[in-house]
Amino acid sequence: MSATTKIAVHSLADLKNTTDDALSNYLTSIKFQRSHRLIDVRLALGYSAVILAGGLFYFDWKHGPQASKPYAGPAVAAYFALNAVFSYWVWMVEKGCIFEGNNTTGNVRILSTSKKYDPTYYLSVTFTDTSGKTDTRDVSASFSRWFTSDGYFVAKPFQQWLASNVPSIGAADPQNIVEEIGRGSAAEETGGVSVEEMLRIAGVAGATGVKSKAGGSGRKRKG
Amino acid sequence: MLSMLSFSPRQLAAQCLNFGLVLSTAFMLWKGLGIAANSPSPIVVVLSGSMEPAFARGDLLFLWNRGLDTQIGEVVVYNVKGKDIPIVHRVVRRFGGGATPLRLLTKGDNNAADDTELYARGQDFLDREEDVIGSVVGFVPFVGYVTILLSENPWLKKVMIGLMGVMIALQRE
Repeated sequence: MSATTKIAVHSLADLKNTTDDALSNYLTSIKFQRSHRLIDVRLALGYSAVILAGGLFYFDWKHGPQASKPYAGPAVAAYFALNAVFSYWVWMVEKGCIFEGNNTTGNVRILSTSKKYDPTYYLSVTFTDTSGKTDTRDVSASFSRWFTSDGYFVAKPFQQWLASNVPSIGAADPQNIVEEIGRGSAAEETGGVSVEEMLRIAGVAGATGVKSKAGGSGRKRKG
Repeated sequence: MLSMLSFSPRQLAAQCLNFGLVLSTAFMLWKGLGIAANSPSPIVVVLSGSMEPAFARGDLLFLWNRGLDTQIGEVVVYNVKGKDIPIVHRVVRRFGGGATPLRLLTKGDNNAADDTELYARGQDFLDREEDVIGSVVGFVPFVGYVTILLSENPWLKKVMIGLMGVMIALQRE
């Protein structure tokens, strides 16, 4: 889906699908070679089942159910066997994989999920480098980070989020890595740490007088 | 809802596949049920009131066609040679059986006379193996009304299939 399409921001499916598509576009743009192995196997399994059923339907319609009787049993068994393999493939192998591909440094595999009524995008990025070492990162962020309130996808913050949080993507796109400096919108993500706590961490002179008191309340709020 | 124009060919193929799988699974389930019940049409809908009060128009009947020794009192569904519509009536007489082919006479509970008039020309009884497609083993009331509506208004069928296709093709939940 192109980034210029407007979506309904309260539809989780729209948010997730648009983001999934944008993620694939982004990764291919930073020189990841996309592999279509998973979806190709799924399509092959599914379509062979549908063609089998269609064939039986045509034979039935052309020659009557009496003539097709000897073939119906094996065909039904084969159809449901194919269906079982198809379901296994979708639920156990693909598992919500939205991108699989590789670049010169290794192979990347990304699963995305979102929970019902929770506008958070969950990614599990598994990177296998050329020596065979794997590194799995689970990252999540609110969809509001890269959608405007009227429903347009904005690529930059999304790409920055990915590049900054997933080393394998950051390595391929160093331009988009941003450091969290504890200011602006990033401060909201510190999760209720008090100003005193921040000052203490920063080691600001003169904070010593309130250190014990502020430290106590800070800890309480953290929990 | 999203526009299908922006789909990649693989996404489009996957979306069509969803639609195909729904249709083919429905057909194969029906086929599988037919094999289990040994009947070419394991589910039928009652179209007339001739079996009231046992079965009313719109009832959905499940048929079983194994164990061919049909007894008096069983409700069977049969096809008359040369006619397309299956009839649901009760067995009131049986002849033969065992070594000779079992022959049945049927009558609708709500009809005054037995079915000899309904049978093909020159036929006075049903051949259990040839004419009967199953005995009724279960039923669901009213559900069949949908198919009655569909068969009496053929355009509804096209509308339904069209709507189904559009819905499955567009949703990506």
